[in-house]
Amino acid sequence: MKHLSRRKFLQSSTATALLFMAGCKNPNQKGEKVSYPSVKIGNSKTLKLNEPVTFNFPDAESPCVLVKTGGEAVDGIGSRKDIVAFSTLCTHMGCPTTYSKKRLVCRCHYSMFDVSRNGQSYQGLASQWIPQIVLREDPATGDIFAEGVQGLIYGRIGNLKVS
Amino acid sequence: MALFKRKDELPIPPNDAEKYTTVCQYCSAGYGYNVYVWPEDKSGSATSNAFGVDLSKQGKLMSGFTYTETMHNVMTRKDGKKYNLAIIPARESRINKGDYSIRGGTNALTAYNPDGYTKKRLKDPLIRRENGFVPISWDDAIEIIATITKSSIDKYGADSVTMKFYDHGSSGLGFEDNWAAGKFFLSGVKTNYLSIHNRPAYNSETWGTRERGMHELNYDVDDARLADTVVLWGANAYESATILYTEQIMPNLQGGSVEEKKKAFESGEPAAEGFLVVIDPRKNATVTVSQDIAADRVLHIRPNLGTDWILANAIARIIWENQWYDKEFLQKRTDMKTFEEYRQKSLQAGKPLASVLADAERITGVPKAQMQQAAEWMAKPKEGGFKRRTLTIFEKGIIWNMKNYDQVAAIAQLNVLGHNVGRVGTGCGRLGGHQEGYVRPPAPTPGSIYAGGPPKNVDKYLTGGGGKIYWVGATDPYLSTPNSQFFRKSVKKRADALLDYLDNGGVPTEAKAYAAKVLEAFEKTGGLFMIVQDMYMTHTAADAMMILPAAGWGEAVDTSINCHSRLLRIYDKFMDAPGEALPDWQVLARIGNRIRALYEADGNKEMAERFGGMGWKSDAEVFDDGSKEFGDNKVAETDEAKLSPEYYVGVTHDMLRKLGNEGIQTPVRRDPATGRLVGTKRRYTHSFASKDGLFKWYGTDPWSGYPAEVAKYQNNATYPFWFTTGRSQHVWQTMYHDRRIPEKYFTLPLPYGKSIRKMQENWA
Repeated sequence: MKHLSRRKFLQSSTATALLFMAGCKNPNQKGEKVSYPSVKIGNSKTLKLNEPVTFNFPDAESPCVLVKTGGEAVDGIGSRKDIVAFSTLCTHMGCPTTYSKKRLVCRCHYSMFDVSRNGQSYQGLASQWIPQIVLREDPATGDIFAEGVQGLIYGRIGNLKVS
Repeated sequence: MALFKRKDELPIPPNDAEKYTTVCQYCSAGYGYNVYVWPEDKSGSATSNAFGVDLSKQGKLMSGFTYTETMHNVMTRKDGKKYNLAIIPARESRINKGDYSIRGGTNALTAYNPDGYTKKRLKDPLIRRENGFVPISWDDAIEIIATITKSSIDKYGADSVTMKFYDHGSSGLGFEDNWAAGKFFLSGVKTNYLSIHNRPAYNSETWGTRERGMHELNYDVDDARLADTVVLWGANAYESATILYTEQIMPNLQGGSVEEKKKAFESGEPAAEGFLVVIDPRKNATVTVSQDIAADRVLHIRPNLGTDWILANAIARIIWENQWYDKEFLQKRTDMKTFEEYRQKSLQAGKPLASVLADAERITGVPKAQMQQAAEWMAKPKEGGFKRRTLTIFEKGIIWNMKNYDQVAAIAQLNVLGHNVGRVGTGCGRLGGHQEGYVRPPAPTPGSIYAGGPPKNVDKYLTGGGGKIYWVGATDPYLSTPNSQFFRKSVKKRADALLDYLDNGGVPTEAKAYAAKVLEAFEKTGGLFMIVQDMYMTHTAADAMMILPAAGWGEAVDTSINCHSRLLRIYDKFMDAPGEALPDWQVLARIGNRIRALYEADGNKEMAERFGGMGWKSDAEVFDDGSKEFGDNKVAETDEAKLSPEYYVGVTHDMLRKLGNEGIQTPVRRDPATGRLVGTKRRYTHSFASKDGLFKWYGTDPWSGYPAEVAKYQNNATYPFWFTTGRSQHVWQTMYHDRRIPEKYFTLPLPYGKSIRKMQENWA
């Protein structure tokens, strides 16, 4: 399938509406992944242990964090499968979460998410797990790309549907 | 690969989507929700939709509108068509203001969907035969149960029929199902062997306060924001009544309600950030979160297990000694004849203060300085001589404590001593587990062991070979009753004995022949015929002879009240129950009506009459019929204490539908001046619920050590740990829904067990 930028995707929304619904029904199909941009967000050779790097994905209004945890994580990348990235908007009511000790912690109502366990909401009020960013590492350069999102970003009807 | 299937887009309800209001099916807080239903092939747009929210923009934090992956599902109605279902926390509800917990946030995921997480709902009446359960028709199920029940009553008496049913609200239950269960078992069967969902008998966990004239649901959520001090006693509010904590107690602690206090308090009365006292042997999540907010205004007291009433009395003694009470209130509103007993036994007025506190410190392990601090925060008048406003909320740590009557009474009395009930920012009552919704004919046991009790213990009766029928509704005693392993073994043995007898020569398939053989088995074996009404195949149901599929939350119209405001609201029906499942009231009515017909055929008018009055056609009729049990509610505001806490006479489903998330607070009065129905925000402002309206004092027992059953494990090297069950905010009760929802079971695969290293040095 042809790669579409987010802008082009939105411009051709009528044409892609059916495609999107199919992707929504079957999120593991290839159809969904093409809709997200591919954005370079870091490099595995320079990323330091427990020093989170912030970035926005899939657009400027969606803050995210990239972190090397030092322990194997669900869907982690890199030689130790310990590099993961997440949306940092708390899924409970949209407050900012911060990274601390392999967790994303929200100060509004003390929700906590486990970054090694797919963003599991293991303490606090959030019922939806925090969305994990799908990452790809270029084996030659170590460059890390954000290329998709597992789960719905807070405050959105669709991850790619904010104007 | 994500651990489970995720969504990155949600359907949008069109403007003409069906809209209903409901209340969370889970905890005592009872958050309001709005429900939207629309055909799967229809959609609203980002800028024009039933939510009335512009979905084209990134949602702002704490906006009050949240729509997450867990708030959507797809369901199939009886018409065979698929519908989208969105269950959204209600911004307009003063209980939650758009906030929600990890439990309520997944309400939509529990909705029955043939391809969804809860697909294993019970869909047909089932009967156990040689090789397991097989479906039968409702007509056959009703014929068999009616015949067996009637014959058992006729031959062995009403007490041969035993039951264990809910008596509460939420969880898809409420006034309707409670009234039907009451009509069937209390008026119809008239058995003395009744038990409530979490205990082996039909009794209250709070006689200690009720028999003082103060029912345990007496405050309003606003009081948790307006109190100078909130006391959480054996009550882990952050985890188990989450939104009461985050929307009321937390803002109070953060200072967010100071302006509100200034408006609500008397002129010139100091209003400041709130204080919090947590009394719990464990450092629970409420303590951790509260200390993070304002460590200097949080006092965590950790008494030795079971010594709470000694602590309450010691704090009360400090208040008494310092005269931090209102003498006029005590004299006018409380029974000073009984006060003397309280003064002698509980306050130990005959003993010097220092000696009382030294004893209390030795028994409870709580330093005297902490008792002093608690007394000051709870009752020491504020600058200018204004009374402090303290709201005390207790729960399982107290009501499931040993010596429950004295524990509850001591806490109630400590609060009344400081006039901390019936005023803005005060109250003394339960946090609650589930919501409430009790309306039934009078129970056979009217009160505590001091007032006609104790009631019959159904568990002991059954494990001792008593009873022929054990009827279980919406509870799983194999998991939840005390000493459950022994209970399970005993009941299973009796259930198997009955099946073995039926199996010998083949289990009859025809209803009448089947019933006849069961009655033969009653005569020849010690067998037990267990009937279970539930939504799922529970651990208990596996040993039942018959299982009746029950409708759940949203599949019938229910009404309940929450615990922190007694707020009565409608929990509307927005979807169909799976398969043949029916609401409990309908099942019990059909069986009751059939028993009535059988007695009429016998010419037994008296018994036919007992099973009468169950000809309801709708949920609304059951609700209305139940209200008649309460009697007249035409009383003035000053007489509200004369009404029992759940009075709703005059309220109808239609009225509640119009009120939506606003609801109406019970007890509901018909105001004599205006003739209009009026709710009660806060109780006992004018009088208490006793015959003369005065609060009745009680002298608690002194500390006499731990019961032998507990004492034998203390200071015993063989048993270095206490093991107890516990709660977690993720899951509800036996996890009947949660064990099927990946967001929950990945986090918590099994209910909590907690093992606590014993504090040997602290044992008194």
